[in-house]
Amino acid sequence: MSLLRRLWSSVEFKLIVAWLLVVLATMALDTNYAYWNNPADSAQLILRRTVLLGFFAIGSAIIIISGGIDLSSGSVIAMSATVFGSLMMILDPVGFKAGHVSTTAVILSIGGTLLVGGMVGTLHAWLITSVGLPPFVATLATLVGLRSFSRGLTSSITMGKSQIDFPDTGLRDVLKNVTYMSIVFVVFALLMWFLMSRTVTGRHLQAMGGNEQAAKLSGIRTDRLKWLAYVIGAVSASIVGIISFADDGSAKPDIMARGYELNAIAASVIGGCSLQGGVGTIPGTILGCLFLRTIIDAVQKIVGSGADVYEGMIVGIVVVVAVTFSQRGGGKLAGKKYFSNGIGWSVIPTLGLLAGLSYLLFFGKREWYAPYQAYMIGGIVVAALAARAFLESNSKASGQS
Amino acid sequence: MTQPIVSIQHISKHFGGTRALHEVSFDVLPGELHAICGENGAGKSTLMKILSGVITSYDGILLVDGAEVHFTGTKDAESEGISIIHQELNLVEQLSVAANIFLGRELSQVFFFRDDRSMEHQAALLLRSLDCDIPPNRLAGSLRVGDQQLIEIAKALSLNSRILVMDEPTSALTEAEVERLYRVIAKLRSQGTTILYISHKMDEVFHLSDRITVLRDGQFIATRNTKETTASEITKLMVGRDIESLDLGPRNPRGDLVLEVRNLSLAWPGHARGYRLKDISLELYRGEVLGIAGLMGAGRTELLECLFGASTLEPTGEILLDGELIRPRHPAQAKKAGLALVTEDRKRLGIFNTMNVGRNISMCSLEEAVFGPMLSHSQEQQLSYSMVSKLKIKTAGLTPPIGSLSGGNQQKCIVGRWLLTNPKVLLLDDPTRGVDVGAKAELYRVIRGLCSEGLGVIVTSSELPELLTLSDRIMVLSEGRKTAEFRIEEATQEKIMEAATKSWNS
Repeated sequence: MSLLRRLWSSVEFKLIVAWLLVVLATMALDTNYAYWNNPADSAQLILRRTVLLGFFAIGSAIIIISGGIDLSSGSVIAMSATVFGSLMMILDPVGFKAGHVSTTAVILSIGGTLLVGGMVGTLHAWLITSVGLPPFVATLATLVGLRSFSRGLTSSITMGKSQIDFPDTGLRDVLKNVTYMSIVFVVFALLMWFLMSRTVTGRHLQAMGGNEQAAKLSGIRTDRLKWLAYVIGAVSASIVGIISFADDGSAKPDIMARGYELNAIAASVIGGCSLQGGVGTIPGTILGCLFLRTIIDAVQKIVGSGADVYEGMIVGIVVVVAVTFSQRGGGKLAGKKYFSNGIGWSVIPTLGLLAGLSYLLFFGKREWYAPYQAYMIGGIVVAALAARAFLESNSKASGQS
Repeated sequence: MTQPIVSIQHISKHFGGTRALHEVSFDVLPGELHAICGENGAGKSTLMKILSGVITSYDGILLVDGAEVHFTGTKDAESEGISIIHQELNLVEQLSVAANIFLGRELSQVFFFRDDRSMEHQAALLLRSLDCDIPPNRLAGSLRVGDQQLIEIAKALSLNSRILVMDEPTSALTEAEVERLYRVIAKLRSQGTTILYISHKMDEVFHLSDRITVLRDGQFIATRNTKETTASEITKLMVGRDIESLDLGPRNPRGDLVLEVRNLSLAWPGHARGYRLKDISLELYRGEVLGIAGLMGAGRTELLECLFGASTLEPTGEILLDGELIRPRHPAQAKKAGLALVTEDRKRLGIFNTMNVGRNISMCSLEEAVFGPMLSHSQEQQLSYSMVSKLKIKTAGLTPPIGSLSGGNQQKCIVGRWLLTNPKVLLLDDPTRGVDVGAKAELYRVIRGLCSEGLGVIVTSSELPELLTLSDRIMVLSEGRKTAEFRIEEATQEKIMEAATKSWNS
C-alpha cells in the first residue's frame, strides 16, 4: 500500500505516465501515422536524440543536484567536436585527407578530447571554488568564451574555413551507430547512477547541494566534490561533441549545439531535480530527456515539416508546466490563485495571444485552416482565464469572512 | 505626575509555544533616557519590535500620549513619532546618504522626477544638526559603521521622531565614535527627544540613563532610578532567575587532559576592536563539561569555530589535542583529529533538510558503512539505528524527513551524527536553542552520559542556569576576551554576569 503510494508519487512514475499519454496522443493525432507505419524508425530517431541529450543532461543534473549550474554544455559540445577534428587532423594528416584516419590517431583523439573536457571542468571548479565566482557567472563566461575559441581553432586549423568536415565515413558510421551509442550511454548512465545513489561521494554531493555550509561543517571536502561534479559535466558534454561531430558530418562551431545547455537543464528539472540543489535522480533525469525528446518529436509529427522551429517553445512550456506541478501544493489547481491580482489580469491577453498565434503557427498551412479558428482559440482562452480570474477574486472575499 | 509618553500595559507575546513576553508593564516619561537591560532572550528586542510596529500581533495595550494605539506596521509607529535604530543597520549600501535618509518617501518635483538636489540639501541640514559632516552624496556602503548609525539617526530625525529606540548602538563602535554618539544623544535630549536605550553594558547605561528597566524571561522585573541603584543591583535583577532543580546525578571524576588551547586569537579586520578573540587559553579534561558563558557577540561561537577549523581567517595560538599540536584549517581535519562540533544554527548549519532522519545521522561516518566502493544501506541503517536507540531519538524509523522531528530530536540526530565519528572532544554550541524544556533535560542527561564515557565536552549557552546545571567549570567571555573562570562550586549567576558585562575599554 505505502509502497504503491510512494511509487505513484515519484517523479519517475508520473513521467512514464505522461510519456505514454504523449505517445498515445501522437498515434491518434498524427495524420501520417508515422508511429503505426514506421515504429522502428520512429523509435530509433527518438532514442538517438534522447541518448545525445542524455549524456550531458546527466552531467548537468549531477551539477544541479550538487547545488551548482552549468550553462556551458552547448559550447563544450561544439568545442569538443572541433578539438576532436583538429586532433585527428594533427595526428594523422595524411589519413585525414585520404578519408581513412588510423585507429591509433582516432583513439588518441578521443582520449585527448575527453581530457580537454576534463580541463574545462577543472577550470570551472577553480573559478567557482578558488576565485569565488558564482557558478552562473563562471559557466556563462565559458559559454561565450569556448564557442569563440572553437571558431578560432577551426579557422586556424582549416586555413580559414568555418567548419571541419568529418574525414572518415567508416569511422563516422561507427560513431553515429545508434546501437553503439546506446551501449555507451547505458554504461555511462549506470556508472553515474551507481555514483549518485550507491557511493559515499554521491551522498556527499547530494548533501552539499542540500546545505553546503552544513556539509562543510560535517567535514566534507566540498571543493573536491565541486571539481568532480564540473568535470563530469564537461566530460559528458565532450562525449556528445565527439558523437555529434560524426552524426552531423561536420563541426560548425558557430551554430553547433547552440542553446543545448538549456535543454539539459530543462530535462533535469522535468526529471525532478531541484534548482535549489540536493534533490534529483539519474533515472528521473533520463526519463526527463525521453519525455522532452518525445514531446518535441510528437509536435513535429503532428504539425509537420519545419517544426524544429518550435522546439524552444515546447521546451519552455513543458518546463513551466512541469515545475509548476512539482512545486509543493502547486499540483492543486483549485486552491491556488493565479490571476486574482493586477499582474494576473494583465497576463490574460498575453496568454490568449500566445494560444491563438500558436494555433496559427502550428496549423496555418493545413487545408482545413481558417483564420476565424485562431481568433476563436485565442478568444476562448481569454474568456476562460477571465472567468477563472473572476472566480478567484470572488473566492477571496468569501474566504476571509 | 507627568503623563507618560509611552505606557506599556500587560503586553504578552508568544512565538508558537515559547513565551517571549508575559504581562510586561512600565511607563516611559517624556524626555527621559530609559535604559532597558536583560540577558539574551529576556524579551528586550521583542518588546521594542512591538513598540516600533515591526511585530503587530500581541496581547495587551500600548498607550502613546495617553491614547491607545495598535500599530499595523512601521509606518504607523513612525507617524506617531517612534523610530528604531536596529543593531543590524538597515541601509541600502549602494545608495547615497541622502537617498537612504529619504528612502520610501523620496521628494519629487513636478510629475515623477526625483528631486535629488533638495533631498541632499535637507540631508545636509539634518546631518549638520547632529554635528557631523558626512557629505550627503557619499554612498552609504563606503561609510564606517559609526557614520552609518548617524545616518539612521538622521533618518529618524527627518521623520520628526519624538521617541527613538536604540538597540545596542555601541556594539560596533570605536571609542571616539562612542564619544560622538554620546554627544549626539545629549543633543537629541536637549531637543526633548525621548530615548529607549537597550544595552547590557553597565558603564554605558549608568553614564547615560535616567531610569533603568530590567526584563528577565519575558517578564518585567523592576524599574529603578539610575541615581538610586548600582551596577551590581541591576546585574542581580537581570540574572535572578530560578534554576530548574534538575538532578543529573553525581558529576564525573575528571580524567586526563585532552584539549589545551594557548593564547588563541582571531583577527577581525575592519572592526573597531580589531579582534574577535584575544589571547584565549583553556584546558579541558576527559569526562568534564566546560561551560562557556558570554553575551551575544562575546565570541563563543567564534572560539568553537576556531577549534574546529571552520573560521574564515586562520587563528593564531596553539591548540593541543592529547598533547599533540593540531592546526585544523578545514572541518575534515578537525574531524580526523577527533573533534566534533554541533553548530548553533541548526537549520542553517546543521541539518540536511532534503534528507531523511537516517541519512542525517550517518552523514559524518559513511566511510564506515561501505562494501568495496559501494555504500551498504544495511550497515548505514545499523549505524543510524544505534544512535536512535542510544540517544532515545523519538522518530518513526529512519525514513521520515528530518524536518518532521521536533527541535530537540533534530538536535539529538546531529549529536548522534558526531558520536558516530568517535570523537575525543565534543563541542556543543548552544545545543538547547529552540528546544523545549522537557527535551532540554533529556539533552543534559545525554551530555552527562557521554562524559562518563570519557568524552571531553565544551558547551556554550546563552542561558546561565543551563551552564550551572551542566558544567564542571565555567569560563566567561566578554568582547572576545576571557574575563573569568569558575569552578562550579564557586560559580553564581551574579558573578558570571558581572564578568560577562565587563568591558575592556573601561
